Amino acid sequence: MSTRIESVATKHSTVSWGPFAHGALALSDRAARTCLERGGQHASDLDLLVNAGLYKEHSMAEPALASIIQEDIGANTGRLLHDEHRHERGEHGTFSFDVMNGGCGVLTALQLVDAFVGAGTAGLGLVVAGDADPSPSTSRGFPFGAVGGAILLGHHDDGDGSREGFTRFELRTFPEHAKLFEVRLEWDAEANRNIVVVDEAPSFASQAVSCAAEVTKAFLAREKLTGEDIDLFLTSQYPLSFAKETARAIGIPLDRIPIVAPELTRAHTAGPIAALESAFESGLFARARRTLFVTAGAGITVGVALYEQDPPPDIDV
Amino acid sequence: MTLPFSSRPWMLIEPRAKGSGAVEDPYRASIESIGVKLPERRVTSQELMASTRHHTNIDLERLTGIREHRVCSAGEDSLSLAIDAAKDCLRRSRHAPSDIEMIIDASITRYAGGPTTYRFEPPLSMSIKEAIGAPNAMSFDLSNACAGMMTGVFLLNDFIRRGVIRCGMVVSGELISGLGTTAAHDIRYIFSRQLASLTLGDAGAAVIVERAPDQRAGITLAGFTTLSEHSRLCLGAPSPHSPGARMFTKARTIHKVAIADTPPLLDDLLLETGLRLRDIDWLIPHQTSARAIRAGERELVGRFGEGPKNIVVNVEERGNTASTTHFLALRRYLDEGRFKAGERIMLLSLASGLEIGVVLFTVDEDLIRLAPDMTPRRSAPIAPNVPQRAGE
Repeated sequence: MSTRIESVATKHSTVSWGPFAHGALALSDRAARTCLERGGQHASDLDLLVNAGLYKEHSMAEPALASIIQEDIGANTGRLLHDEHRHERGEHGTFSFDVMNGGCGVLTALQLVDAFVGAGTAGLGLVVAGDADPSPSTSRGFPFGAVGGAILLGHHDDGDGSREGFTRFELRTFPEHAKLFEVRLEWDAEANRNIVVVDEAPSFASQAVSCAAEVTKAFLAREKLTGEDIDLFLTSQYPLSFAKETARAIGIPLDRIPIVAPELTRAHTAGPIAALESAFESGLFARARRTLFVTAGAGITVGVALYEQDPPPDIDV
Repeated sequence: MTLPFSSRPWMLIEPRAKGSGAVEDPYRASIESIGVKLPERRVTSQELMASTRHHTNIDLERLTGIREHRVCSAGEDSLSLAIDAAKDCLRRSRHAPSDIEMIIDASITRYAGGPTTYRFEPPLSMSIKEAIGAPNAMSFDLSNACAGMMTGVFLLNDFIRRGVIRCGMVVSGELISGLGTTAAHDIRYIFSRQLASLTLGDAGAAVIVERAPDQRAGITLAGFTTLSEHSRLCLGAPSPHSPGARMFTKARTIHKVAIADTPPLLDDLLLETGLRLRDIDWLIPHQTSARAIRAGERELVGRFGEGPKNIVVNVEERGNTASTTHFLALRRYLDEGRFKAGERIMLLSLASGLEIGVVLFTVDEDLIRLAPDMTPRRSAPIAPNVPQRAGE
């Protein structure tokens, strides 16, 4: 039994504010719908929906944005709960909630969805992540682009005990570097409003690479793998050049990194989804036997996940 | 990918009944310790209503059954409440901090560094694990309105059942009384959408979930669903032009749909477990107001022809403390010696989303016996790494 990636999608907004800008919710909704369409699934098939996006309209604290996305895409919103024939027709609900783990939110959400989908408790799960500056006219130092993404995960039971899908996750923090990247909403009495403030130290990018390399090297050693064994390397898009620098530090050949479209390179939580979509489109993902996800974010938090496919495809990248 | 469930419950639940197609988990999870932190400062409903800008004529105490709630003082915020609750939880536990393998923070309010500094990154859970001395635990924050802590327990139950971890903690700190301050400024009439904000109190809570020593006690079933057609009935966000936050709730509608939609979900769960409602010794619903809880009780009895033996109401001195309410009620009833080993407790979440969740568990002797001021020892003996099958 395993969890497999069925499809992936991203959406972005080319303008950051004004009437034609798309907020995090709209981008997440659109990415979720496209992802389901690409996976050939209907929203009503979803058992689980986890949103990992952080920066959204009005910095809304409740409800979980996932519940609003669930309603917008029409995933078992509850209208059939009182239908007396729902049991015979196999109607079921969807459970939605948000994970807030910065740049590692998507990997955390993938781990949580994998827990339920891999064991067969859930049949189909969707991870969504979207961010957009909540107030572009007043935010200070907000570095992320308006990007939303979604990954569809399905349960598979091959019955042969083969090792496929997500095979291992790891999440580690380095609190000694907590001050290097901080985002908060704080009251500015002079401006008479709450303002999003981003404090990023110049050393954050290099330290994120260093922490990610340390965790990933140990991860690969435990799996008895080297950088050369990794066919596809998917990472956070922020900090910029994180993918290449980390690959160099680990010893993963640079041609294992997909080229991400320029408009997606400032994606925050959706960063690894942008990389995955590029690998889907170029065929790299289909040919990769071992895909390694490495993400980093404030904390410094590092997430690593290994995704394996069998039988071994022809690795001719 | 659609699982071949012939008769699926509406909720996502764990464990599924045998023959459902889901993997049978080798272990069972158990609630081992509960800690709380209440700020010292008390504000009565009368005092809060005396502070309103407009003359409202609302008798809040009569309407809600809330006499007073706690409010943070200078130096206290969401993070400090969460840390203090986590430490209290460990003091009452057999576990040392190093036993905790996963820490989930579920605070709706994310004030860290003062009541006007709302932190997005780094996650609060990272600061909490540092403060309690569990630096190697996997950690993340989740957000699921007032169902946050229950969602965390739902997730830990899964990770423990599958044997991925043996011991985890869910923690939350809610500095949420500021919504009441904003509401007191804005509110004019009883039908105001900010009325529910006046019921909120500050608190921290933490719960340790561990691998159960045997199959008799522990979590029998945990389930959740999101009835998202009601997702926009309660919206909370920082105020654009004043420190703090605001929440707008269609209180009557959310109350009506929660009362209407809970019975069919409970029907599914009772069918799955082979229990009847009267087999539940204590039902602890989300603590919004005494009147709402009693109305829910009447609906259940009307629908099922019977009710649980006891329904817990714990709002009089606490108010609605958001994601922490179930664990505040549990801690209080444990302190008062009201639970007996072997009794069945059902925690029922009803939260913005609309999230409806259930954690059904049997009271473990250890949970009752553990002294309130137990100092953490070296790593506690945890159930052996031998899979247990149902019936063993």
